[in-house]
Amino acid sequence: MELIINGSLRELEAENLAEVVGLLGLTGKPVAAEADGQIVSSEEWKQMAVRPGMRIELVHFVGGG
Amino acid sequence: MLFAPIGEQGQRILMNRSVLIVGMGALGTVLANHMVRSGIGRVRMVDRDYVEPSNLQRQMLFDEEDAEQGLPKVIAARNKLARINSSVELEAVFTDATPENIAGLLEGVDLVLDGTDNFETRFLLNDACFREGVPFLYGGAVSSRGMTALFIPGQTPCLRCLIQSADSGGQTCDTIGVISPIVDIVASYQAAEALKFLVGAADKRRSSLLTLDIWNNQYYEMKLGRAKDSCPCCGLRQYPALERKADDLLSLCGRESVQVSGHEPFDLDIWSGRLAPAVKSVKLNPYLLRAELSEGERLVLFADGRVLVQGTSDIIRAKTLYARYIGS
Repeated sequence: MELIINGSLRELEAENLAEVVGLLGLTGKPVAAEADGQIVSSEEWKQMAVRPGMRIELVHFVGGG
Repeated sequence: MLFAPIGEQGQRILMNRSVLIVGMGALGTVLANHMVRSGIGRVRMVDRDYVEPSNLQRQMLFDEEDAEQGLPKVIAARNKLARINSSVELEAVFTDATPENIAGLLEGVDLVLDGTDNFETRFLLNDACFREGVPFLYGGAVSSRGMTALFIPGQTPCLRCLIQSADSGGQTCDTIGVISPIVDIVASYQAAEALKFLVGAADKRRSSLLTLDIWNNQYYEMKLGRAKDSCPCCGLRQYPALERKADDLLSLCGRESVQVSGHEPFDLDIWSGRLAPAVKSVKLNPYLLRAELSEGERLVLFADGRVLVQGTSDIIRAKTLYARYIGS
């Protein structure tokens, strides 16, 4: 299905947010997620069903400095 | 003072404020520069490292002479900052921030500014700040990306509410690089939030996690939302990073560098004499001793008892060299 991830249209086959994070290779990384403007805690990613057109923001925390 | 939202009264308030900057690298030097030029009353700086030539590309308070002398970053920074604004009380603490000393470092501080380069220390700061009730101003930068957020105990989530993992996937300034503009931008955003917080302009605070990529022209603000009930710090009042584990005495520290802590403080003059016959060369300054080993690596001994093994990222190899020259 088509999802809008970090502002870009992406075609991904995923049922929930945890799968989206996995498909993007971000499982286990310091990532915060927002779906349609609402922050979603990582414990809820599996329960968070995704649907076509959903706007997902994945913020990968930066460790340098 | 001409800037009306701060004004004369705000400037007086700032003179009575105190900040702690942890990490005096790329972010830390920009933060310190802003805090000192803004006339914050007391600036305490802590860092474990010394100036090397590779730092000069982005760490704005240092110069070639500092690198040549191998001065501790906090000392080189203090020397420069004291010439910028002599009315600011500067405190340079040349050590590693640890679970043992962090409470002392936070004493009397209104705000902690994040200038660190790793998540382990950030979680330590986060946990200590949320236990002690001190706001923590996170900032990070790598490559052309950066982010920042202000975490206030009792008012906002903390870093642990947002992320659990400390895995940076090997993406550090020492491995994939960083361009200096993103460092200045992130640290300047941090400095602006610091001024708003310190002067009491609560209504002007940004309540989001700001993330930007200046190379790819991206800018995004994620609302911080509420603290999580299941968060170890905010919900459960446990502070995992404040519990020291035995194997924490050995840690990877930047590229090709392993830090070994836990030794008694070193008398550097005595150790200079002791190591000189056994190694290729030794260089000594009042703060540290650098020994070039015939094996190719370098040992750096710090007066506080830490040793840096440079030239390897293999912990076993570092332990071997440590045992060979320092003892077990």
